[in-house]
Amino acid sequence: MTTITALGLVLMVLMILVGGKQGWSAFLSLLLNFGFLYFAMVLIAFHVPPLFVTVVTGVIILAITIFMGEDDLRTTVTAFYSSLIVMAILIVFIILIEHWAQVQGFGTEDSDDLEGMSILIGISYLKVAVTVTCLSTLGAIAEAAMAISSGLTEVLENHPTIENDRLIKSGMAIGRQIIGTTFNTLFFGVFGGFLALFIWFAGLHYSLGTIMNNKIFVAEMLEILISFIGVLITVPMTAWVMTRRRSHLVDRHDESNYDKNN
Amino acid sequence: MFRLLNLSWLRAKRWLLVGLLIFGLVSVAFTMNNQRFYRRPIARVVKTTPVGHPRRVSDQFQNIDHQYDQQITAVMMNGRYRGQRVQLSNTYSDSRPMDQRYQVGNQVFLSQVRRHGKQLTANINGYKRDTVLVLVAWLVIFLLLVTMGKAGAWALTSVVVNALLFILAVGLDLHNNGEHIMAIFSVLTIIFAFVSLLLVLGPSKKMLATFSATVIGTFTALGVSLLVFSWTHERGIYYESMQYVTQVPRPLFLAETLLGSLGAVMDESSDIIATLFELKQLEPTVTPRQLFMSGRNVGKSIMGPLINVLFLIFMADTFTSSLLYIKNGNSWGYTFAMNMSLGTVQSLVSGIGIVLAVPLVSAFGALLLGRRTK
Repeated sequence: MTTITALGLVLMVLMILVGGKQGWSAFLSLLLNFGFLYFAMVLIAFHVPPLFVTVVTGVIILAITIFMGEDDLRTTVTAFYSSLIVMAILIVFIILIEHWAQVQGFGTEDSDDLEGMSILIGISYLKVAVTVTCLSTLGAIAEAAMAISSGLTEVLENHPTIENDRLIKSGMAIGRQIIGTTFNTLFFGVFGGFLALFIWFAGLHYSLGTIMNNKIFVAEMLEILISFIGVLITVPMTAWVMTRRRSHLVDRHDESNYDKNN
Repeated sequence: MFRLLNLSWLRAKRWLLVGLLIFGLVSVAFTMNNQRFYRRPIARVVKTTPVGHPRRVSDQFQNIDHQYDQQITAVMMNGRYRGQRVQLSNTYSDSRPMDQRYQVGNQVFLSQVRRHGKQLTANINGYKRDTVLVLVAWLVIFLLLVTMGKAGAWALTSVVVNALLFILAVGLDLHNNGEHIMAIFSVLTIIFAFVSLLLVLGPSKKMLATFSATVIGTFTALGVSLLVFSWTHERGIYYESMQYVTQVPRPLFLAETLLGSLGAVMDESSDIIATLFELKQLEPTVTPRQLFMSGRNVGKSIMGPLINVLFLIFMADTFTSSLLYIKNGNSWGYTFAMNMSLGTVQSLVSGIGIVLAVPLVSAFGALLLGRRTK
């Protein structure tokens, strides 16, 4: 058995032990996300336009992460809509920034790994960079949208007649509670993976100016900063989507309660 | 969400907005005019002319690309040739993996500036990217402080402090020539967790509980993974495929994994502990068992999305090089092994940490809070 299979089995058993049915579906969502990510790469390799692949894979990954992570439809549908809107905004922003920053493809630090490779593959690396940046932020967006949306569902359950202004304020308050730890998750997730690169920079005494303009460093920084921006727009966006959708929630689930309260 | 922009809100945050806008303008203007602080020569492109015809390039894998040459006139912006024109030549392709097309207004770094008769020539040695980096960083700070207020300021402080600690640890690692890297980064993980939680939660019992739970969860996951590693003899882990390696890869990889999962475990632990403290406050007679069960309930709904956050970050980074492998005639399996296997291991180890933290944190919180009622 390879180590990856063994670790996967350990993870699966632990997720089922801790989470039961929900743990199993969370594990499945991980497998499906991997499948679609790999499939996206194969599609791009077959010259399907990367932007199209990004949008389709993005929607699928968001749907998998959100709908398989939680059962409560009131929470998930709101989270899904708001993360779709955030993804659309981010794709436009990422395209603009990537065109300006020109951080696609490989840097001079990659030269060793590229030896013997034919790097002119006729596929725009810039478009691939947009795909990569967009896909890497989706997890964080989905997570933030679900946190806000499940918090607000609870608020609506306890106070069905709350005003929209107050609902948005509650959403922002929940956002304030999660923002610190979410930023840390993203910071460690990205920087942890690039420890080797930073040791390279420091070992070869790169100057601050060199690092600030280094292709790989700028690409990584932009990735983490764009994830931060994604999370920051997700918070008010989810609260706003909740104000639009609250009538659905009350009608479908709390009709009897609502009648009693009036 | 547009109601947020009403007048009273604007009045309350007027000075913050003005201050942030001025700060943004000043820092972007600085990066556009900081050429004198660079030792490397910088030039601004003022004219580009295409040279010759596009060349068709193909390889043995039927990849077809085109290369173009361009002649660039640029004006030197620093150094002893400042203000003089310099002639550059550049080649770019359709796919642009390591090259790029330059346009009027772009700023480029130069090397080997020399005089040919009256003409100054040089080689292009990279694109100036600091302006875009600073602009996007400013946008994050702006959005963070305007929408999140004080909580945003603390989040920002914790990220900045962590970045500084990170730099310090890298320096320490180099000072020891890469020996004891696991020891250094294990200690660092503990310090990271302490500082971040202190900044995000403030000095409280809640913070101490979250901190202990995080540290126990992260290290247990590493221990379990190391057991699995030795049990399977690390088959299928290709350390040689690790990027940017200048030191022994295995401990470096483990340190990367440890750091990568730390943030997510902290995130989860603080969510669970916060819920348990709230429960305790609402209902002081709650039993440890009830606390444990509600901790588990919170945990099992956040663990899935959290694992997906890290998974997408780790795997997206391997996307470009995997694509290159596929286009170079490698099989899907070999492409996975050489590019994605380390990312997958990293995701799985972090996943184990995130899942293990749920019962650990819940039990820890239950013992801590449940005991005091008796």
